Parts: sequence; C-alpha cells; structure tokens
Amino acid sequence: MDYTKQIQDIAAKLFAENKIDVFVGYRMNGFDDNQVPVLVTDPREVSLLVFTDKSVFNLSNYLKADHTRNKRVGLVVKGCDSRSLNLLLTEGQVKREKLYVVGICCEGVVDDKGQKMQNCAECMIPDAVVYDELFGTPKGKKEYQVNVDVSALSGKTLVKRREYFEEIFGNCIRCNACRHSCPLCYCAKCCIDQETSTLYHGANTTSSAFHALMTWSLHLAGRCVDCRNCEKACPSHLPLHLLHKQNEQVIYENFQEHLAGVIPDDRGAFYKYSLKDPDDFIM
Amino acid sequence: METEVKEKTVSIEKPDIVAPENWQPVIIGILCNWCSYAGSDLTGTSRIQYPPNIRIIRVPCSSRVDPWFIIKALQTTADGVLISGCHPGDCHYISGNYYARRRFLVTKKLLNMVGFHEDRVQFSWVSAAEGPKFAQVVAKVTGDIRKLGPLHLYKKENLDK
Repeated sequence: MDYTKQIQDIAAKLFAENKIDVFVGYRMNGFDDNQVPVLVTDPREVSLLVFTDKSVFNLSNYLKADHTRNKRVGLVVKGCDSRSLNLLLTEGQVKREKLYVVGICCEGVVDDKGQKMQNCAECMIPDAVVYDELFGTPKGKKEYQVNVDVSALSGKTLVKRREYFEEIFGNCIRCNACRHSCPLCYCAKCCIDQETSTLYHGANTTSSAFHALMTWSLHLAGRCVDCRNCEKACPSHLPLHLLHKQNEQVIYENFQEHLAGVIPDDRGAFYKYSLKDPDDFIM
Repeated sequence: METEVKEKTVSIEKPDIVAPENWQPVIIGILCNWCSYAGSDLTGTSRIQYPPNIRIIRVPCSSRVDPWFIIKALQTTADGVLISGCHPGDCHYISGNYYARRRFLVTKKLLNMVGFHEDRVQFSWVSAAEGPKFAQVVAKVTGDIRKLGPLHLYKKENLDK
C-alpha cells in the first residue's frame, strides 16, 4: 500500500487550483522509518507528503486544532479515520464544504515492529466511507470479529479481572494524552477535569484514573471507531482498547449490529433506541 | 455448650477483606421523579416495611442518569447502586427510559469486566402504583449486596488527611 505519488499530485493540484488552505497528511519523522502527521500550508512543501502502511495516525483529529479551524482543508483518511470524520460531520464539528477528503481503501497499517495492527486484522470497514477522491480498490464490508483480548478476559474469573484492571488503572499517569489524541473528544471543557479537580483535588491516584478512564470510555461508547489513536499516544502503553472494544461488542450484539460512523447522519448507539432492546437484566 | 459459628461476610471482589461486625451495606437508589419516586412514596404511605439501607436520590427521568453517576456513587460511599424508572412505554417524557436502557446495559457489562460483581449495579422498572414491588426490589438488592460484602474497589482516598 503506497499512495505517496497520488497524494503528492492531488495536494499540488488542489493548491494550484486554490481549493485548500492547508493539507493534512503524513511525512517521515526524519530519524527512522516511522511517520508523523504534517500540516502543509505551502505548495512547495508538498513533496514532504507520504502514504505507506506506516501511516498509522487518525488525521481527522487535526480538524479540531486551531490550524485548521475555519480553513479549507485537504485531508487523507483511511477506513476508520473516515468513520470518525463522518461522526464529526454529523455532530456539526466540521463543515463538509470546507473539506476535500482523499479516501484510501486501506489494507491495514503496521506498528513499530512491522506487524499488522490488531484493529486492522479485525477491521470491518477498510474502505473510506466519506471521500471526494478514492484511491485503491474497494473491498466492501467484512465479517464482524470479536476482539481476542476481550474474549480472553471475559473467560477469566472476577478476581483475576479485578487484579488485571487494577494494575492498568494504577499505571495510568493521567496525562490525558488519550483524550487529546481522540478525534471525538472535542469538548472545550471536559466534565472529567471538573470532577477530578473537586473529588480528587487533581491528584493522580488509581481511583482518579479509574474515574477518568471509565467515564471517558462510557462517553465514547457507541461512537468509538477503534482507530486506536489513544493507544498510540499513551506513554504508559495501557491497553485502552479493552474498554472500547468491550462497549463496542455489547452494542454490536444487542443494538441491531450498530457500528459507529458508517452511515451518514447516524449519531451513535445512545442517540436512538429500539423497542426490542434487551430488557432481561432489569427487574 | 453450644457455640454459634457466625459466617463472616467477605468482599467478593477482594476476598482478603472481611466486613466488620454489624456491617450494613449502603445502597444509593436513583429514582425517576414520575414513577419510581412516587412508587417509593406509596410504599411509605402504605406502611410497607423495606430495608433502610437505601439512600434515595430523585432525578427527573431515568435517562438523566449518566453512567458517570454510577461510577461516582461506587467510588464514594456506595456498596451497591439501584436505578429505577418508569416501565417501557410509561415514560413521562415518552422515550427517556428507552435511551436509558441502552446505556444501562453497556455500563453494567463494562463494570462487570473491570471487576465489579454484576449485582453491584441493578436496575428496575417500578411504576407509581407498585408500592409492594418497590419494597420487594429494595429487599432483593439489599440481600444481594449483603451477600457480596463491602465494596473496596477504586474507592476515593481521603486526601484531606
């Protein structure tokens, strides 16, 4: 999967036609073969842009930054990125007419060790769902797969699970990198900050990390697109996908196979209901 | 001489923690204004006895309950949480409890995965006419939590000390 040439061409064309002010893409980070996001504002810098299977980050996160707000933006999206972009459009955070979206039919990206990422191996929607220009051959919707880590955990006993998650929450340093890297966390003032400052005086403890991460994952339930930006940003390498995938699995199995951001104008699982939703857990 | 062997209550999530003698569970009940709160009122005016372990909070609708409220209750004083609203179809705001039902299922499953017993957080539909049912629900929840023992999981530390 290498679309470097096509993306450089289209970015140059868009700058030449004066259709965009800034192009959001990937460039090499300069010291190894990994990539970092780049915001190109000068047509002469277009040659920096690359796209290979190392292009891991979700660039729709950069639509909430000041550099792109109220500007005409060109953007590269993979399958999962386009789903979060779809949600941002539905929730009124970005305007479609100000965007030029370059969609990619993704074949899966690789991590630092060169192995295919777990979310790409389990990906259901590899093709971009929102685009002006599409590169690659569409592969269509794939079968739903239960996350291997979640199913392994649900086989363990209650006490084992408690011990496992106590370690995870204990290792959190509350840097909030997960929240900042999440494309769908755009609130100017986060309710978690308000609560942790009064309840915990801002202290970093296992309980405050539990509070922050659980609230965060439940506020993202039904909207998370499993791009794993949070996990890539986490300095403690916490398996944050466990919380999100657990929610996604419950939602997919119980609420008419709902997947976030696939259909335009679909706001998420918690913004609609069905009379047939499961009721057996309620007395 | 007969010696009475009393079984000690152990916290189910942390088996090394034993409840102190005469331990009483604390249950936070979050009730919707239009059905369950009126139902609990009817229980009282009908002079039906129910366990005094429940502390009731009134909310306008069961969909007012953010999952965050449950987390916060479990982290502060509660050993268990009961959330109660109108029966499906009876919501004062027409569809509030349908939205709430979806959130409750996801919250319950997620809390269960990170190590809370599934009976720590319970849900019920109680209408304004179901006084005896409310007493039964509270008795059942209190009995369940009493068996599970005290909750010592991610409790908020007293940082003022």
